[in-house]
Amino acid sequence: MSGAALLGPPQAGAQPSDSPSETVSVDPRDIAWVRQNVPCQSACPAGTNVPAYIRQIVEQRFGRSYETNREANVLPGVLGRICSRPCESACRHGWPGNGEPVAICHLKRVAADMKDSGHRITEKLYAPTGKRVAIVGAGPAGIAAAHDLSLLGHDVVILEREERAGGMLRYGIPEFRLPRGVLDVELHNALRLGVQVRTGVDVGNGHGKVPVSQLLHEYDAVLLATGCMAASPLPLRGRWEKEDPASACADVEYGLDFLMDLHRGQKKRVGKRVAIVGAGFTALDCARIAVRLGGREVTIHIRTAEEYIPVAKEEIFEAKREGIRIKGLRSPAGLQLDEAGRLTGVEFVQNRLGGWRAKGRRQAIPIEGSEFIEPCDTLIVAIGQQTVNDHLDVKLDLDRWGNVRLGENGMTSNDGLFAAGDYVRGASTAIEAVGHGREIARKMDAWLMGRERRRTVVHITPVERPLRERAFDFIVRQHMPTAALGARDTRKEVETGYEPAAALEEARRCYLCNLRYEIDVDRCIFCRACIDVAPRNCIKMVDGVVRAQDASITKLTETRDWSQVAAIWIDNNECIRCGQCYQACPVHCISISRCELADVDV
Amino acid sequence: MGQTTRHHIVIGSGVAGSQAAATLREREPDSRITIVTLSSLLFYNRYDLPKVFRGVRDWREFLVQPPDYYETNRISVRRLNRVTTVDSARRRVVLDHKEEIAFDTLLVASGGRGYVPEELTDYRGLMHPFSSYTEALRAANALPEGGHVVMLGGDMIGLDLARTLLDTGHKVTLVAEAHAFWPHEVGDEDRARFLAALEHMGIEVVDARAAGGIAAIEAGAKGLSARRVALGDGSEIRGDVVMPFFGLTPSVEFMLGSGVDIERGLLVTPALRTTDEAIYAAGDVCQIWSDEDHRYRFFYGWKNVRAMGELAARNMTGATDPWVSVQDEQLRLTAEGAIHSPFWEYQ
Repeated sequence: MSGAALLGPPQAGAQPSDSPSETVSVDPRDIAWVRQNVPCQSACPAGTNVPAYIRQIVEQRFGRSYETNREANVLPGVLGRICSRPCESACRHGWPGNGEPVAICHLKRVAADMKDSGHRITEKLYAPTGKRVAIVGAGPAGIAAAHDLSLLGHDVVILEREERAGGMLRYGIPEFRLPRGVLDVELHNALRLGVQVRTGVDVGNGHGKVPVSQLLHEYDAVLLATGCMAASPLPLRGRWEKEDPASACADVEYGLDFLMDLHRGQKKRVGKRVAIVGAGFTALDCARIAVRLGGREVTIHIRTAEEYIPVAKEEIFEAKREGIRIKGLRSPAGLQLDEAGRLTGVEFVQNRLGGWRAKGRRQAIPIEGSEFIEPCDTLIVAIGQQTVNDHLDVKLDLDRWGNVRLGENGMTSNDGLFAAGDYVRGASTAIEAVGHGREIARKMDAWLMGRERRRTVVHITPVERPLRERAFDFIVRQHMPTAALGARDTRKEVETGYEPAAALEEARRCYLCNLRYEIDVDRCIFCRACIDVAPRNCIKMVDGVVRAQDASITKLTETRDWSQVAAIWIDNNECIRCGQCYQACPVHCISISRCELADVDV
Repeated sequence: MGQTTRHHIVIGSGVAGSQAAATLREREPDSRITIVTLSSLLFYNRYDLPKVFRGVRDWREFLVQPPDYYETNRISVRRLNRVTTVDSARRRVVLDHKEEIAFDTLLVASGGRGYVPEELTDYRGLMHPFSSYTEALRAANALPEGGHVVMLGGDMIGLDLARTLLDTGHKVTLVAEAHAFWPHEVGDEDRARFLAALEHMGIEVVDARAAGGIAAIEAGAKGLSARRVALGDGSEIRGDVVMPFFGLTPSVEFMLGSGVDIERGLLVTPALRTTDEAIYAAGDVCQIWSDEDHRYRFFYGWKNVRAMGELAARNMTGATDPWVSVQDEQLRLTAEGAIHSPFWEYQ
């Protein structure tokens, strides 16, 4: 019996599939079940089917695993190295009492690195539509959109200001975190279906630049994916309120410019004592580059505390191993220059922690009269980035942060002009940019074709037996091996990747949350054997359920009174898919089905 | 309706935690008091641990209170219990084995453990830390008579041990890092003076910065010294035992996600209260707001830690007294040219 059937009156949304054992469901309850119960996939901005690709690693099908990744994200090898890992923050294995989250990101890299060298890429191509699309910006959002639009049969041209495609992936992320060979191969694969990339083309106002209005005239649709390319200024006091310190002092530089210049091939220098202000990946990357360029005392100064830095803990640990120190509860207030105008120190003001800001960030409240000086020779400012709109010769609706407003159809206030990625949302992460690029590409396709051509369904497949052993729950998270400290430079990759045995061990840790365990209440004999063997409070005696608006079950109402028990129910939110209940059931009334979101033709 | 008995839980059985438990009992004869500790021993004084190298190995010699003290004072001590989380909303302490203990007020006095810089973490297995009785015993057992101890970093805990080691006929080499006199804050000029004083005391001093830092630690081959510390300039130091002394890092991991503010340690008001009104902190685990310094800062030393334990207990039971440091923090040279730290003065 399919999961869809068990959830209520069948079967309005269920349809036969090509595979005899598989059901395709468009029932919103099934879609909601996946969104509620597969937290990693729901947390991934690109919607990567994480349990599927990890299961394929367990089966040693690395190529298939890579392709499963590619269905959602065309750059698995890249994101397998530099992703901000929202999936791991959501992973059920990391919930209280369950241990540490699965190393989902490292396993993505396993799929990319361990697939066969002659691996066959799978692409599902639509017939040519004759529609022409221009994309401005070859960063992760632009690349993801270009790939999807080209699959959908549109002719795509990317216009990129820099000499090479990749955007922040190439110019903002150090090679020791993302080897350029990996980036080049995946960019090539993403764009090989006829996408034209014109580099060195500056879209904007002024001499030698291509105006957006001209693109709108020449193409059926235009996508702006120019990212967030202006460094946020440092809010200092005194003379620095009106003067840009980076212009006034050669020892002060913005982190984004520092990294971009370095990756354009410029020679960069830092002093012996380097102060970095900022708390994101850019700040950390600048610090790690500064150490490699000869900085002896490299310190990251943050406004709040290390606990609240939105950076993977492993990255922080590696930075510390390289000698970088992090000092918290301070905001820069001024600069100390010598007579020659060289930087000798940064004036900070002490902070205390305040309440919470948007996106789970902590507030920092400066404490009056608590100023102090930290001596340094170089200051790198990496407190964020902003969007720039001065390249537009068309008028667009912007929000109060200067980010462009989009309609439900992904379009700006200008007909035919779409926008995606950091340009819309402000500085975010590569995976968010990829996810948004895909989302807008689908909306652009709908607008260009006058109808939705893709929709989301749930594939429900019966599974014969539990795919995990209880022993897998006790495997500890596998450590990512790294290059020796003495061998690290600006290019050599620091994380060296899992060995095959470690990859398999880590993959086994995944609970495979896309498996739905259910008890057939008509066959259950209420013997409690399943409850007795359950390692968590995951099998419950219930007298009712609470349903959401889409009719999916959001909560079980439990009872201890046998006379009120309507069913013994597996709480898939608590369930860790260990299979103990399935093994213990004397009447085999527990079924397992795999529920997976998929995009299919309408 | 009868009044329910309040339950105070103290995490940590060191100086702060034990003093707090004693004060709590004094002020509230009827309340329940539970100490939860990772330690297998009842309260012993960490400052006494150098005695292990003088041949005092029996754990009973280190106990500050006889075991029946806890029974007499109705203080329940849960030894070898690891706290994994604190659920502040439900007022529960969650232990490693999933047991949950309800509290009315909680004192976090989990202290600090020896900090090992991240760049040396690969060599943990080759070093002998000195944060507990068990670790001290292990180091002493590994050190042959008249053997050579290589101390990395240098802090006042290590230098105190160095005095004992010299006194007992051992050789000590200090690879001095930037904060060699932690927790004293010593400027560059004074640092040179104090390093010279260490040499005068009989400690061989290698300035890590001048030697290019610590590059590696290796196990010696058969027939050679047990440990080899390689320095960045290519030189090396051979010894029998390598001990890291880089100050303390607060043991706060179990408080992450509790909703209580943390920077390096738990951030507390001068009344030692965290951002949760039912949770207090005392000892090496907390950073106290200092009106004088306009910042949160740690206060170290046995006297301070004991005073914090006492103050926290008072404030947990109705008082609202502010923190006042009771410890002299000035590093000095004696008339004989040796260094002397007030942190070494304990009873």
